[in-house]
Amino acid sequence: MQIPYNEELRPDTGLYNAKLGIWIFLASEIMLFGGLFSAYIMLRVGAPVWPPLGTAQLNIPMATFNTVVLITSSVTMVMAWASLKMNNFGKFKMYMGLTLLFSAMFLVVKYFEYSAKLSHGFTPAHDTFLAIYYTMTGLHVIHIIAGMIVNGYLWMPGSKMWKSNPERFTNRIEVAGLYWHFVDLVWIFLFPSLYLL
Amino acid sequence: MSHDDIQHHVKTYIKVFIALMFLTLLTVGASYIDFDISPQFRSGAIFVGLAIASFKGYMVASEFMHLNNEKKMIYWVLGLTVFFFIFCLSIPVLWEANLMGDTNFEQSPPKIEGGHH
Repeated sequence: MQIPYNEELRPDTGLYNAKLGIWIFLASEIMLFGGLFSAYIMLRVGAPVWPPLGTAQLNIPMATFNTVVLITSSVTMVMAWASLKMNNFGKFKMYMGLTLLFSAMFLVVKYFEYSAKLSHGFTPAHDTFLAIYYTMTGLHVIHIIAGMIVNGYLWMPGSKMWKSNPERFTNRIEVAGLYWHFVDLVWIFLFPSLYLL
Repeated sequence: MSHDDIQHHVKTYIKVFIALMFLTLLTVGASYIDFDISPQFRSGAIFVGLAIASFKGYMVASEFMHLNNEKKMIYWVLGLTVFFFIFCLSIPVLWEANLMGDTNFEQSPPKIEGGHH
């Protein structure tokens, strides 16, 4: 059975179905991270000293670099969509490839950050700050990996759709882009909350 | 959207990218400055840091996610989400203010039965 309103807009919403779907999904994601930010505030205001004495020092230069990397990946993602809108499939391939490269770079930096902490015994069980740090950044990393799987599929095997149904493929990239920008948005708040303030 | 419209969008994306880079450096720089107005109000740095992050978030949402020009249905979905999100974030604040759980926190401690009269 054909899924309706893949390309044409649904008359009552004015949207194609996948776009409304991703926004409802992102709404649930806002609540998921909202719950964790809520827990973070609760732990912070309840602590006599924040971050607790004896906890790990987070690496600000590494996190700043990762912020730059993730924002850049968000730009390349939106440029990938714009390239398709301008019927330039070659540029789409380049920008999507760059998005994947920056995503991988983010994960590599995160790996070094986590391993440096864990090797010194700074596990999530060490204190409440590290518990919420690992929970929030860990969940964010899972979102990065999920986005990379989707973007990787759309970059390689999924891009065949461009030949058979270019409008539907462009919509898929827009939807994947909305998710990716959300992941970037979450990091924009995680970075100052955990590393700087 | 026409080809020209998209090209106009691309120019905006590049401007937003430059602004986001600048604001990222500003966030890091601002974290080294003491914004505390007085010993009683020691949340200056938090306020400044989150204000910059909110502005960055606004730019990503409005330009990259195209929320500056979206359909009503999406604004409804997000409006409802923002309401519940604020409610969710206000729970710990209300809790800390002792407005939840213990409504008698400002009253004097209860007298112990059987004490001196």
